[in-house]
Amino acid sequence: MVRGMARIATYARPSTLDEALTLFDSERSVVIGGGTTLARRPASSELAVVDLQQVGLGGISIDGDRARAGAMATLDELARAEGLPEAVREAARRELPSTLRAVATLGGLVAAASADSELLTVLLVHEALVSVAAHRVGTEEPLEAYLASSSRARMGIVTAVTFRISGHTAVARTARSRADRPIVAAAARVGPDGHRRLALCGVAPTPVLVDSAAEVEPQGDFRGSSEYRAALARILSSRVIEEVS
Amino acid sequence: MMQIRLNVNGSPIAVSCEPGESLRSVLRRQGLFSVRYGSDTGETGAAAVLVDGRLVSADTLLAAQAEGHRVLTVESLDPGTAKLDPVQAAFVETGALQGGYSAGAMVLATKALLDANPNPSEEEIRDALSGVLDRETGYAKAVEAVRRAAVALRGEKPEPFEPPVLSPVTLAEARRGAPPAGPSAHAPLALPRIVPAGEAPRTTVVGAPEPKLESLRLVKGNAAFADDVEMRGMLTAALLSSPHAHARIVAIDDTRALALRGVHAVLHHFNTPHIRYASGGQSWPNPYPWDQVSFDDKVRFVGDRVAAVAAETAEIAEEACRLIDVTYEVLPAVLSAEEATRPGAPVIHDEPDSVGIYDASRNLSHHIEGQTVSNEELEAAFASADHVFTETFHVPKQQHVPIEPHVVVGFLDPDERLVLRSSTQVPFHLRRMVAPLVEREVKQVRIEKPRMGGGFGSKQEMVTDDVVGLLVLATRRPVRLVLDRAAEFTSTRTRHSQTLTFRTGVNDDGRLVAQDLTVLADTGAYGTHGFTVQSLTGARGLSSYNCPAKRYRCDVAYTNRPVAGAFRGYGAPQAFFALESHLDDIASAIGMDPIELRRRNWVRTGDKLDIVPRLGERGGVEEIAEEDLPVVTSCGTEQCVAEGMRAVEWKRREDPHWKRPPDRPNIRRGIGVALAMQGSGIPFVDMAACSMKMNDDGSFNMLAGAADLGTGADTVLAQIAAEVLGVRPDDILVLSGDTDVTPFDKGAYASSTTYISGMAAKKAAEAAAVRIRARAARLLQLGDADDVTLHDRRAWAPDGRSLGLEEIALNSLHTEDQEQIMGVASHWSPDSPAPYGAQFAEVEVDVGTGEVTVTRLVMAVDCGMPINPITASSQVEGGMLQSLGYAVSEELVFDEDGRPLNAEIGPYWIFRADDTPPMEVILVETMEESGPFGAKSIGEIPIDVVAPAVRNAVKDATGAAIDTIPLTPERVWRALDSLNC
Repeated sequence: MVRGMARIATYARPSTLDEALTLFDSERSVVIGGGTTLARRPASSELAVVDLQQVGLGGISIDGDRARAGAMATLDELARAEGLPEAVREAARRELPSTLRAVATLGGLVAAASADSELLTVLLVHEALVSVAAHRVGTEEPLEAYLASSSRARMGIVTAVTFRISGHTAVARTARSRADRPIVAAAARVGPDGHRRLALCGVAPTPVLVDSAAEVEPQGDFRGSSEYRAALARILSSRVIEEVS
Repeated sequence: MMQIRLNVNGSPIAVSCEPGESLRSVLRRQGLFSVRYGSDTGETGAAAVLVDGRLVSADTLLAAQAEGHRVLTVESLDPGTAKLDPVQAAFVETGALQGGYSAGAMVLATKALLDANPNPSEEEIRDALSGVLDRETGYAKAVEAVRRAAVALRGEKPEPFEPPVLSPVTLAEARRGAPPAGPSAHAPLALPRIVPAGEAPRTTVVGAPEPKLESLRLVKGNAAFADDVEMRGMLTAALLSSPHAHARIVAIDDTRALALRGVHAVLHHFNTPHIRYASGGQSWPNPYPWDQVSFDDKVRFVGDRVAAVAAETAEIAEEACRLIDVTYEVLPAVLSAEEATRPGAPVIHDEPDSVGIYDASRNLSHHIEGQTVSNEELEAAFASADHVFTETFHVPKQQHVPIEPHVVVGFLDPDERLVLRSSTQVPFHLRRMVAPLVEREVKQVRIEKPRMGGGFGSKQEMVTDDVVGLLVLATRRPVRLVLDRAAEFTSTRTRHSQTLTFRTGVNDDGRLVAQDLTVLADTGAYGTHGFTVQSLTGARGLSSYNCPAKRYRCDVAYTNRPVAGAFRGYGAPQAFFALESHLDDIASAIGMDPIELRRRNWVRTGDKLDIVPRLGERGGVEEIAEEDLPVVTSCGTEQCVAEGMRAVEWKRREDPHWKRPPDRPNIRRGIGVALAMQGSGIPFVDMAACSMKMNDDGSFNMLAGAADLGTGADTVLAQIAAEVLGVRPDDILVLSGDTDVTPFDKGAYASSTTYISGMAAKKAAEAAAVRIRARAARLLQLGDADDVTLHDRRAWAPDGRSLGLEEIALNSLHTEDQEQIMGVASHWSPDSPAPYGAQFAEVEVDVGTGEVTVTRLVMAVDCGMPINPITASSQVEGGMLQSLGYAVSEELVFDEDGRPLNAEIGPYWIFRADDTPPMEVILVETMEESGPFGAKSIGEIPIDVVAPAVRNAVKDATGAAIDTIPLTPERVWRALDSLNC
């Protein structure tokens, strides 16, 4: 068994999105925002890193009921941004400790689609849309569709995420300690139109938007068995629904 | 390679780096050693730096990413030689530094926070520190340091930082619900509360909250640790470890690896000496079994050693490891002690040449027995009991997770002796153990122990030193080996997992009449420390309470899991989880208050510890005369319990509104208690030595064999010597743990440093003081040197005349009847006086999900007379936090093939600043006559009983008596579910 960090053969810092897309057009290329997950990639193959920091995808703005966060907005910037829903800010803060949150980006978080991401769970109920740029094409699709896509890693480069800032949101989570990543978390939001959305993490390969906790059939691991995760999904869902109702 | 331009600490620099090279690596190559390795994934924060004013992990940030940004390390704070910035000064003043491995990162985190927010709340401070892990403190002092730095930077005057003194409370008062002690209620929790002993002698330096002597080097990030060194021609080593839990190595072809440019050596079973050894750093002769070799022809766990490479760079070394072709014959594996000891189980140690395995055919490394009565007498006692209770408990494999991993830098000195600069707790044992493995005489090996960033027992093991030694000798080049975090989890050592069954006979009045403890322990692939750890489990499990009939039996089994070894507490946390849970359950069963049940049985001053000499390294003696039994010479248990009850507001257990908060229907609250004791060194075995030498200016060089692993030992030894010599602690220049320079010391383990090494320091200082007084008497024309007293850096005559120590030193070195004033002494002890402690935990349990939130920890400790209350309380806070992990989160888990599933800090989980509960430390002073200035130990006892206190608190909250830790949400949920059934 040989360990070690990912092997990186080349590093490029494009200054335009087109340049980045050209560099991305390779099987071994990997786009980074903050690069905080690079170390977790297997060391078995060589990577060509494309660093987006100079492409100009940062910034957080609010337009009416929607906030727009550039893909290079850091989780720390989200956590501190005035005007964003408290649930989003708090989930962004909880996502990573201070040293990693300062460089980890929203685009990276969306692309990684971690099964236990509390922020993605909250963004799902805030009707997030993901903007993805590919050659000659720019698409915008709901976060739930992006997360569900098995080919998302090669679809293109995430450039921005927009989400609604209105409504009443509740989040509940269960973990081994207050700062630990959740075993299961649930988020519910009732929008101004009275429509309720419910999302869960820790119950599927990515966070999911559901109508009811009964839909999920979670896989178990050492932090929680399948049975337990299913039970948490039910309990936490009912709590957040009750809170927003 | 690529060329980049960085702006580091205000200066532009051009560097060549690999595209994938981390900023940490590049900064360290520039000599900025404050940026330290803790993990590749950035979770430890030891490598945190400021990038454009933001605190960022330099582990995960590529150097190339940093181009165009302003990078600041703590070296940028340069207030001048031997001066400190206000933030650095606050960390020193509050004692926030234990090992100090991540001190630079903590200081930078504070700078970044306070630059943006001059008056942060505690929550904001904890959030800012959340990315910098500290395994040695409870973060309370770091939080206080940030708060005080903020005050100073705002131009305000901070409150004095002095431990409050409590008026003692009686147990009866505490039971009635005595209100919290007045002055302590408002003091920061970073300060320990002191309950003074009435009979203690007055001291000046001893007992004072002196700052650590090594503070400056830590807060400035100066090169101090094993890895903080560069040498011309240094090679980097990498290890190839086993992907299989159990396999025979049929062949190794290293041709491709050796052909790789930059590779200098590839070592494995087929080209290295085959010498059996035990890796535990213990006194000679090392306890059996000797069941390891440097490179075996069999691997016994995923992560076991297969080969080692030395190469020009880390990347080449890792690539060479990939090019080593190993042919394995995979064997069936056994992954639990129960499975390993079943008839017909695969035999893990089938080799013919291991020495001292108890029964290899049954996978038993050891079998241990000890009892105070015959079996017949024991059964008669059980038969006489009003009640007999039997319970079985399970405790997991916990990993030490020192933030500084195992690091060894080896080289040949000008005389071609092998020098190993090693992060070790046991330099002298290591020298003796490594010499035969590299086929050298002991005198041809030198061990240097630099500053350490934690060890907790994992560095009481020879984990990689033999490999580095062999690579140095093979290449004749300096070699550096730094274990990565995954290897630290799997290839070093863990705490022994155990299954413990207590059978206890108790009468209606709560008196214990018989106790029988049976343990099955998992030592993993090798038996190091298997005997002594499990012997201590018996000694600790059967010593806290008086009982006329006791028996201990233990099997220690090999499994194909990572190796268990020494871990702070050393068998006691396992024993106490079972014992203190069991007693709580007994109390419930017989309808008695849990503290009253304990009170009726706990040992007191004058009681005999009858099981102790029947176990351990000098155990096995069947007939022991009553007068030879160790006696409790000082014991503050009752005061500790009373103080802890008052602090935690024990009475709230009876308040239904507090226990079931009406506005939070899913929450139940509870408070739990557990008691602990430890030892102070190993009686008759541990020895330490120290020398003192007086300098021209009246300062002293202290050469101590003791190994400060971040605990504050160097400062404590200096305080002891300073008290004797009448000087300030910073007049004592401590150099410790160098086998060529310092006298022998057994090393840092067994809670021995303050008690054993401290007494050696006291004796050495006293020997020097004799010479000082003699010369002073002559110069002051006194007839009797005993009339001279030493204080305030002067020698005083009874009539008030005095001489400065500088005058005496100059006289002795240069003027007349010249001599080097010095003292050398060693110390061993037939005694091992126990510290005692009472741990309290307050919890909230979500009865829907099983989630346990520990909301408060209080520990009252009798460590004798604390030499330094700040470093002592840091030890308690750090121990409690590590123990909190043992209680609720920390457990190495494996798949069905023996591969670890959570060998990474996040999935494993250790507590951060932002999820650590408030912790309160109370130091209950007692005068231990055999210790230096009345001191006993404090290093291990705080890790002993958080787990049972939390478990008992959960039981108080919900009624669920859980027999397994960690108390994960699912485990608690299932227990609550079965309760509802």
